[in-house]
Amino acid sequence: MNFFYSALRLLAFTALALGSALAAADTARQTIARAALAEAPAQRIEIITLLIGSGDESIAPLLNAWKEDALFLYSAPAGSKIPVQLSGDKDEQGAQAATSVDTGQPILAPTGRPLRLIAADLTAVEHNGALRRAMKAVLDLLDLSTANVEKRVRAIQTIGSSQNVEKLPALQARAKIETAPAAQLALREAIALIQLKSPDTPTKLAALKELETLHTIASADPLKAALKEAETANHPSVANAARAALNAVDSHLMTVNFFGTLFRGLSLGSVLLVVALGLAITFGLMGVINMAHGEMIAVGAYTTYVVQNLFGEGMDLMIPFTRIGVHLPGAHLTGWVYQTYFIVAIPLSFLAAAVVGIGLERSVIRFLYRRPLESLLATWGVSLVLQQLFKLTFGSNNVQVSSPSYLSGNWTYQDIIFGWNRVFVIGFAAFIVVGVWLVLTKTPLGLLIRAVMQNRSMASCMGIRTERVNMLTFGLGSGLAGLAGAFLSQIGNVGPSMGQNYIVDCFMTVVVGGVGNIAGTVISALGIGLADQSLQQILLNPVLGKILVLVSIILFLQWRPAGIFVTRSRSLD
Amino acid sequence: MTPSATGRSYLGSRRTEFIVVGLIAFFLIVVFPLLNAFGIVSNFTITLWGKYLCYALLAISVDLLWGYTGLLSLGQALFFSLGGYMMGMHLMRMIGDLGQYHKPIPDFLVFLGWSELPTFWKPFSSFPFALTMVLLVPGLLALVFGFLAFRSRIKGVYFSILTQALTYGASLMFFRNDMLMGGNNGFTDYKFILGYDIRDAATQRALYITTAVMLLLVYTGCRWLSGTKFGLVQQAIRDGENRALFSGYATAHFKLFVFVLAALIASIGGCLFVPQAGIINPEEMKPEKSLEAVVWVAVGGRGTLVGPIVGAIGINALKSWATRAFPDYWLIILGVLFIIVVLFLPGGVVSLAGKVRRLFSAKTAPDSAKP
Repeated sequence: MNFFYSALRLLAFTALALGSALAAADTARQTIARAALAEAPAQRIEIITLLIGSGDESIAPLLNAWKEDALFLYSAPAGSKIPVQLSGDKDEQGAQAATSVDTGQPILAPTGRPLRLIAADLTAVEHNGALRRAMKAVLDLLDLSTANVEKRVRAIQTIGSSQNVEKLPALQARAKIETAPAAQLALREAIALIQLKSPDTPTKLAALKELETLHTIASADPLKAALKEAETANHPSVANAARAALNAVDSHLMTVNFFGTLFRGLSLGSVLLVVALGLAITFGLMGVINMAHGEMIAVGAYTTYVVQNLFGEGMDLMIPFTRIGVHLPGAHLTGWVYQTYFIVAIPLSFLAAAVVGIGLERSVIRFLYRRPLESLLATWGVSLVLQQLFKLTFGSNNVQVSSPSYLSGNWTYQDIIFGWNRVFVIGFAAFIVVGVWLVLTKTPLGLLIRAVMQNRSMASCMGIRTERVNMLTFGLGSGLAGLAGAFLSQIGNVGPSMGQNYIVDCFMTVVVGGVGNIAGTVISALGIGLADQSLQQILLNPVLGKILVLVSIILFLQWRPAGIFVTRSRSLD
Repeated sequence: MTPSATGRSYLGSRRTEFIVVGLIAFFLIVVFPLLNAFGIVSNFTITLWGKYLCYALLAISVDLLWGYTGLLSLGQALFFSLGGYMMGMHLMRMIGDLGQYHKPIPDFLVFLGWSELPTFWKPFSSFPFALTMVLLVPGLLALVFGFLAFRSRIKGVYFSILTQALTYGASLMFFRNDMLMGGNNGFTDYKFILGYDIRDAATQRALYITTAVMLLLVYTGCRWLSGTKFGLVQQAIRDGENRALFSGYATAHFKLFVFVLAALIASIGGCLFVPQAGIINPEEMKPEKSLEAVVWVAVGGRGTLVGPIVGAIGINALKSWATRAFPDYWLIILGVLFIIVVLFLPGGVVSLAGKVRRLFSAKTAPDSAKP
């Protein structure tokens, strides 16, 4: 409790240091204490009015207590009167802990223990209508002066959108001393919005001009109202100015929507790209239809979940086919050390999914290289088994993967919101595309992969161990799916059937891009992502947008049946 | 092992086949419902078998495409549920004002704030119209989609993926409430069909018999088709499309016809399924359902007509039992069974019979050669 109050006092001092004009000598607490001790109501009002413009955090609780008759005058044994606030639970006698209004510290009894007083024994500090009005004026503008810029901006915006003329002087006073640029802008907007209500035409025109330069999204509705009013009042100059301001707001809104859609489209495209890139290798290069690709994504996501829990509190698992539960102990890390779990999880997800993929290739897929349709069916069986294994191990509900703090914020520029996780997705997608490209074109393994994929029997004749290359290629594709899973754990749900949500999209992306072509996959992923988001923006309906994308993909394949990039060959099939 | 060209070897000669099929059909169509009427077979069982037989129709439609024409469609459940939805719309109209809100329109429309029937719902009060739609809607969809797909020579895996996308898109659409098709709850709580109480044992028995007869008709029809010149071209397309094309057959037209025919069979299955299952919702359209139907065919034996029926009934009976006996492991059982069949028994369960017979004849052949 003590610590809390001293923290509050510290805040109060900061507020003072930031230049609250009025509470120069006394702290806000001292001022209120002085007001409580003042005898004449007029004097009290005068003292309370001094607090207008102060942003001290102790003001609101004290004034509210005063209004609710919870502020008392305590006659100390020494004869002086001390204003006190009673708080905490009542004991058997009905006594509560007393804190001094003056300092915020508990009052100590002569015995040295905190003093407990009974409310009924004391006289509450009086208040009348005029005093309450003065308090309201203080409280109304309290938030305008708080030290926290974000909070201040929000308070200013609230006042602005209420368009209350009475608050105009306070805003103007604040505008004179405001230093933070964000708050300055908000103040200009709020003042202009209130001036819209002014009966004076030049002021109104100036306000409209101001709103036109500011063109904030929030001013759209008040502007519409002003326009309507001017039209009914038959005031062409005001109506024209209002129309100009509205146009400015609208064009700004369109810009924001356009870039917002572009950004969301890019990030959705990057997600598609990350999930489809692995498939572009297993399906596009190897010709294996891996329906369990979605489950490889889930392997990556669950790996992230396990790593997170190992860094944190530990977790319980069930071993499938037994009723044995296992408890994995956690390292109980906190702070930034805990936050690094995601960095550790990324390579582990790749490894885990790659290992599962290699296991799958060795046990099932290697028998099916010449029968693509049957690889589709067998891997679907694998996907059923894996999903059920996830359910048995981790439970059938979605599991919680928390985002590390460096991925959970966002950055706003000109009303366009850039979520860090989405920025990260875009960067990461670019990173793995470059990585895959380097592996395929610049490493010996890449050379072998390309050789085997172009002509398996010829490569085999040249002495390449095609079996091994197949295994490694499939491992690489599955590992990329695992990476995608680590990623999706940050932006979507992690559950046993999470992979099913992506599998159709994945295949679509690869087919549209042109099988066997990484560049095609990149273009088609970004294209589908952008198309999806723009259609959503236009139709205002996510599901309809998705359906339209599917339809347009079917139509697109009419035009280019082999995708964007065609691998030309002389063979017929 | 590639499936046999005419699908005949698994039952020996034509006469044996005729006798075996006739016996099974007689049992399913006459004996089984009689046993039910005398109370030996429970009402639950007869409805359950009715559903199995509907699934068998769906399986035949998958097999007609995959086993006989080489087109693996992963969207047959879409046509199945479209047929179901058309029937469901009629059954919803037959509820009349007996719904929870006691309004003359279906409950979910009342819930969505409609006071009058949307125009496209109105004709569904008529049973013949609903039946026409059962054939028309899936048929037209298959015609348009098939035309687009085959015209641009989409085949093999691409065809599979596109059909999967089609059913995925449709399920998304039917999940929406403003589609006015019941959203994710779909249609349920039917009361009457053709004036009879739908929950009555006799009605369910009649539905079962209709389904069994329909299955027999479809079986015979497909059996006949596979023996005609058309059927042979169909199988030629499966085994070597380019050769068929270069021999002067417009393969795209053949494929389109088979695709539409299969859609119609699936749709009839769905239309019979809904009054017996008592519910239809977009879950039935999800890509997984189509894949399940492919599993039945693969396990039963593709490229034969008995295989899909055996597979559909067998797997669903196994499912009914295993989901109760081992609820946690059912999917694992199905998955592993499927992997094993794909890897080691490409001809399905019915090919086992031929394998066993060949094993015997291989043993007896040297004996007879000795003297």
